[in-house]
Amino acid sequence: MFEIISNLIAAFFTLAIFSFLYKDNPFYRFSEQLLVGVSAGYAIPLVWQNAFIPFVYEPIFIQHKWYLFVPVAFGLMLTLRFSKNLSWLARYPIAISIGMTGAGVVLSMNAGVLVQMRSAMQPIDSLNMLIIFVGTVTVMLYFYFSKAHTGLYGKFTKIGIWFMMIGFGASFGNTVMARLSLLIGRIQFLINDVIMGFIK
Amino acid sequence: MKKQIPLFIVIVLSFLFAAWAVVPHKISEEFYQGYLVFVRAMSPFGVILGIMSITMVNTVRIKRKVPNWQYSYVTLIAVYATAAIGFIWGTSEGSPYIWIFKNVQMPMSATMFSLLAFYISTAAYKAFRARSAEATVLLIAAIIVMLGQVPYGVMISPKIPGFAQWILDVPNLASKRGFMLGVGLGMTAVSLKIMLGIERAYLGGGD
Amino acid sequence: MEFIKKLQDLDRRWIYLIIALAITIPLLIPFNAPTYTTGPTETLYQMVDSYENREDRAILICFAHDASTMAELYPMEVAILRHCFERKVKVFTLTFLPTAAPLVNYAIDMVKSEYPDVQSGVDYINIGYKPAALYLPIVVGMGDGIAEAVKTDAEGRKLETLPMMKGLNNYNELRLVIETSGASYAMGWVTWARSRFGVNVAAGVTAVMAADAYPYLQTGQLSGMLSGMKGAAEYEYLTDVFAAYQSPDYPNGRPFSKELLKDQDVIDSIDISKDWDPETKTGIMYKWKTARLGMNAQSVAHMVIFLFILIGNIGYFAERYQQNKAKK
Repeated sequence: MFEIISNLIAAFFTLAIFSFLYKDNPFYRFSEQLLVGVSAGYAIPLVWQNAFIPFVYEPIFIQHKWYLFVPVAFGLMLTLRFSKNLSWLARYPIAISIGMTGAGVVLSMNAGVLVQMRSAMQPIDSLNMLIIFVGTVTVMLYFYFSKAHTGLYGKFTKIGIWFMMIGFGASFGNTVMARLSLLIGRIQFLINDVIMGFIK
Repeated sequence: MKKQIPLFIVIVLSFLFAAWAVVPHKISEEFYQGYLVFVRAMSPFGVILGIMSITMVNTVRIKRKVPNWQYSYVTLIAVYATAAIGFIWGTSEGSPYIWIFKNVQMPMSATMFSLLAFYISTAAYKAFRARSAEATVLLIAAIIVMLGQVPYGVMISPKIPGFAQWILDVPNLASKRGFMLGVGLGMTAVSLKIMLGIERAYLGGGD
Repeated sequence: MEFIKKLQDLDRRWIYLIIALAITIPLLIPFNAPTYTTGPTETLYQMVDSYENREDRAILICFAHDASTMAELYPMEVAILRHCFERKVKVFTLTFLPTAAPLVNYAIDMVKSEYPDVQSGVDYINIGYKPAALYLPIVVGMGDGIAEAVKTDAEGRKLETLPMMKGLNNYNELRLVIETSGASYAMGWVTWARSRFGVNVAAGVTAVMAADAYPYLQTGQLSGMLSGMKGAAEYEYLTDVFAAYQSPDYPNGRPFSKELLKDQDVIDSIDISKDWDPETKTGIMYKWKTARLGMNAQSVAHMVIFLFILIGNIGYFAERYQQNKAKK
């Protein structure tokens, strides 16, 4: 019985959001704001349990690692972000967190550029490889704006546009599937959990 | 000085981490382990900032009586009530806190995004037109990929799934790789700018 | 012509209604549509399969999504966990999103209820939620030591005290990371864990992002990929055909084979329109075929969208023809 009531409440909120399709209404607005609030409030106990207790409370108050008061002080400085006079102190924890970017320069260059380039430079031993080569080069040429897209160069960039259109088309085709999947998920919930749960 | 010292921290840490990424030495590992302990202890406090932000935004809305200000009470009550319920009754399976997640947060969040299915259907009907040669190529590629994904595409032609996969594997790959190389170089450039102290937007405005 | 004009100006709410019906009717009346598997799904399946019964190998599933994209990603997680429990593959689960933490529990509980022998800490470890600020420290830290990087599991137990950790130290043993996400194709793992430690990374992505990930598949930076609900349906199907298959010849499932996937008898033997009957032990449980039933609805809805595009364009060209005629 409890599960049926719970499912009915979930179904109510589902339908309240769907009601926006007809027109904006108080049920929708209430649900929308409730969603924002619940999502934010939900994080607080989890952070307390999974971050504050194991990484702050236990090391400091049980293991007596008093030096950890230093990062705690830096963490607290974040909250000064909204202060008129002390907001500059919030820059310290941000600076410490962002420091790891240095490793990113090396690693993202490798993952995002070098490995892709190596793959783009493989021997052209099939028609597909030729198409991939031409497509990659012409798309890159299209984004080179220091030269006017005219003449022979313009013809190359035009090929780049065609490749981009196919790429966008592929993305759009997949997007249709993705969006419909989300609706399918909700209707599966209404049919199997709510209606079937009620009938059983 | 209010900006210079944090900037100095970023530059020094960035170079140390760049070295750490390529030099697997004992010292670099110890430096990293020390950093880890530091960052872990700092990590819980970000959430306070989020809660402060949502509280301030909604309090201002109520104070100024902006349109639909009444709903800000819903947000504020939901934030603190959910958190309080989590603290009082715990966060384990079967608690009221998880019940709220399962029957309030989860269905609404999922439904909110599912609205997009209706909007994309309307877009397909009203906006997806073969207005030019380029748009036609986009349209044909989209239709083939769309039909190639579902079992019924085979009924139209058994070649559709294979052709759809070819579009994804070959021309789509070429196009996305072209983008990716540009984006990858751009990201590296931004990271370098942060490392060298040229990009400072993350430190916020003011002195 | 009037009719075409009327069709062009159709109120959007009629379109909403048609699409809602196109999805609801196939879900109310399930039918058995075949599932065709693709290379990226098969590769991932085979990789997970290769760690069968290995004490010194494990995989990690990183849940990087909330309920909003659950319809596409949750069936993937369920299918992969089921595969792991069938093949006795050690598995870690982890999330950096607070709103994903209960989803991890739901997925594990849903699958575990059919595998009473599977034990937490022995066959799987749910690391649970870790704050996003610890993303890099954990992703990179696991290269040196899994237990040291994450410290505790979701139940607050020290990782090094759990039996499953015997023989599992770092990415040398944790050979595969699968991130299910609606926002990135496991790029964090590719950049940090793969570049530095050579770990295999696979992605379960929403279909929106799938097309963007193909360059990473070709380079091998992604070892496999599940693309949206279709990817989930394919993985469900592969698990039914191989890992969960039972017969006197294969009491514990049968090995992966490309030939079997083309065998008409095999295709016919998997019928999603039949519900699980505990007495005859035939049919398929609803939770093992959620994505495939969803793909039934997807089939019909795609046809409807195709018709929408067609009708919209007929109207557009008819209107243009009229305008040109009027000009002349």
